[in-house]
Amino acid sequence: MKVIAVHPDRCTGCRTCELYCATERGSNSKNLLQAATEEPLPKARVRVEGGGSLSFPLQCRHCRQAPCIDACLAGALVRDEESGLVVIREGLCIGCWTCTLFCPYGVIFPWPERKIALKCDRCLYMERPVCVDVCPTRALEVVDMADYDQFLQGKGSQVATGLAYAGPGLLLLDLQHPA
Amino acid sequence: MSDRADTVIVGGGVAGFQAAMTLRRLWPEKTVTLLDKEEETGYYRTLLPQFINGTLPENKLFFPPSADDRHLRILTAVRVESIDREKRTLRLSGRGDLHYQRLLIACGGRPLVPQPFVGADCAGIFPVRSLTAARMARQWLTSHPEVVVLGGGLVGVKTAAHLAGFGYTVTLIERDDTLLPLALSAAAAGLVADHLRQKKIRLLLGRTVDDLHSTAGAISAVQVGGDWLPCQTLMVATGSLPDLAWLHDSGLLSEGRLEVAPTLQTADPHIFAAGDAVTIVDSARYTPWTWPQAVVQGALAGENCHAAVPRSLRRYSRVNTMNLNGLSLAILGLPVPGAARAVYAPAGAGIYRELFHQDGTIVGGALVGDISLGGRFHQLMATGLAGERDLESLLVPRKGVWSPQAAVFVRNVRRARILPQGVER
Repeated sequence: MKVIAVHPDRCTGCRTCELYCATERGSNSKNLLQAATEEPLPKARVRVEGGGSLSFPLQCRHCRQAPCIDACLAGALVRDEESGLVVIREGLCIGCWTCTLFCPYGVIFPWPERKIALKCDRCLYMERPVCVDVCPTRALEVVDMADYDQFLQGKGSQVATGLAYAGPGLLLLDLQHPA
Repeated sequence: MSDRADTVIVGGGVAGFQAAMTLRRLWPEKTVTLLDKEEETGYYRTLLPQFINGTLPENKLFFPPSADDRHLRILTAVRVESIDREKRTLRLSGRGDLHYQRLLIACGGRPLVPQPFVGADCAGIFPVRSLTAARMARQWLTSHPEVVVLGGGLVGVKTAAHLAGFGYTVTLIERDDTLLPLALSAAAAGLVADHLRQKKIRLLLGRTVDDLHSTAGAISAVQVGGDWLPCQTLMVATGSLPDLAWLHDSGLLSEGRLEVAPTLQTADPHIFAAGDAVTIVDSARYTPWTWPQAVVQGALAGENCHAAVPRSLRRYSRVNTMNLNGLSLAILGLPVPGAARAVYAPAGAGIYRELFHQDGTIVGGALVGDISLGGRFHQLMATGLAGERDLESLLVPRKGVWSPQAAVFVRNVRRARILPQGVER
C-alpha cells in the first residue's frame, strides 16, 4: 500500500499543499486564481498542523483498522481493494458526518455546502498526489508501506541478534554491529 | 418456506441490517433470516425528515442494494408473537414457527405517544419513526401546512429544522426548558434554539400539549397551557421505548428491560441483542440509543453470535452528529456535575464549542456551528489522554486556507495584469 509520508523537519508550514489540494481536487476551474472566487470555496483534504517551530501536513493515514469505515452508516467509506486505501464514494455519502467524529486524526472534513464528508484519497486516480507534487521543500513523499514492513522486520532481526549476543549485564548500545 | 435458519434477526432497522451484513461476511456458510414488522425495510431512519419535506427522493432513502445472496432471507410485514427458548423457536404471525440456532434481537423501539393522543381517532398525527408514517405525512403535508412538532429531542429538532422554509408554519413544543435536554448543555442548546428561530420556527419550551381538537376526523388544534394553537399536522417525536411486548413471558426481561452484557449477550447464551431495544449492564446501566451506537452494536452482535470468544463493546457514549438544515452539530456528551468547562464562543459567529473536563480527562461536550476536529476530541475523550492540555486553545477552529481577502487579492492580481505599470489606479 502506497501512502504519503511526511518529513516534518522539512515542512515550513506554508500551506501550499492545502491551496493546491483545494484547487486541483475541489474546484471547478482547477485554476488557483479562479478557485479563490468560487462559491462555495473549494476545500482541501490536507491540513497543515502545528505552527511555530514544528509544523507538518496531515492527511488521511488510511489506517489498517479504520474506525471511520466502521462508523460509516451509509457504506460510503470503503477500502479500495486494489490499492488498500480508504476511499469515500461520494455518491453514497449522506452527509451525516459520523465518520468525522470517529477519525482520531481529525482529517475527515465535513463539507456542509455540498452535504458530504471529504477526505484524502491520495489522488488515487492521478499520476502523483497534488500535495506531493507542489510541496516546495519536498516535505511530502509517496512511500510504499511494504518497504516499511521490511525495514521493521530488519530492525526486529537486529534486535533479536543483539539480544542473542548480549551476555548478562551488557548494555545494548549498538545493535548495528553485534559483537 | 423453510422453517429454520442458523441465525434469525428480529428487526430490520440499522442494527439488524448491520448484524445481517456482518454475519454474512464472517460466516458465509451460515444462513440468516431477517424479520421486520414494517412493510419495507433497509432504509435510513435518520433521513426521514429530509424525505418528509420532499428534498430527498425515495430511492436515496434505502441502503445501497447488495448482490443477491441466497443465504440471506428478508421477510417483511412479519410480527413475532412469542418465543420458545427451550425449543429455540419463534412463533410468527400467520407464518408458523421458525427455528433458530442463534437469535439476534434488534427490534428497536416503538414511538412513545403522549397521553392526549393515545387512541385519538383522527387523521394528521404522525410519529416520526417509520417510512410508512413518513410517506403518509409527506402526502398529508401538501394540503395541511400548519405543523406542530411535539418533542425537542434530536428527532423533533431535526424534523422542525427540515420542515421550516418549505411554506409550512412550524411550532416546536418541548416539555423541558431547553431544547435537546438529553444531549446538550443549556448554553449549546441556546444556539440551536436561535438557529430554529431564525428559520421562523416558533418555540414553546417548558410546555406540553394538554388536549387536542379535531374537525371532520382530522386534527385542527392543540391546547398548550390553556391556549389553543391551530394545528393541521402533528409530528410526534417524543422519543421511543423498547418494543419488547413479545418477550414478556420469555424470562429474558428484568423489570421490563432487555439487559445484555457488554458482549451484547442476553441471559440466554443463544440470544444476542443490539440497538434501541437493549440496556447494557456494566458498572452501571447504559442506554445509548443513538444511530451510531445501533450501527456499532449491530455489527458487534452479529460478530459475537457465532464467535468462540465474544468481544465487548468498547464505548457506551451517546456521540452523535447531524446537520440541522444549515447548522452542523456534534454531540460528545452531557455536562457532568463538578466538571470544568472550556468554551469557544465568539460573539455573533453562530459557533459554540465546549468541552467538559474532570481530572485532566474530557468527559463531554458539544460542537455547534463548526464541528471540525470532533474526531480528535472524541478520541481524547475515549482514551482519557487530554492531560493538562490547554483545551480552550484546542477548541479554536482553524481558519481555512482561503482568507476572506482572497477574492480581493485575486481581483488586484488581475488588474495588475491588465493595467500597464505606472498607470494611476
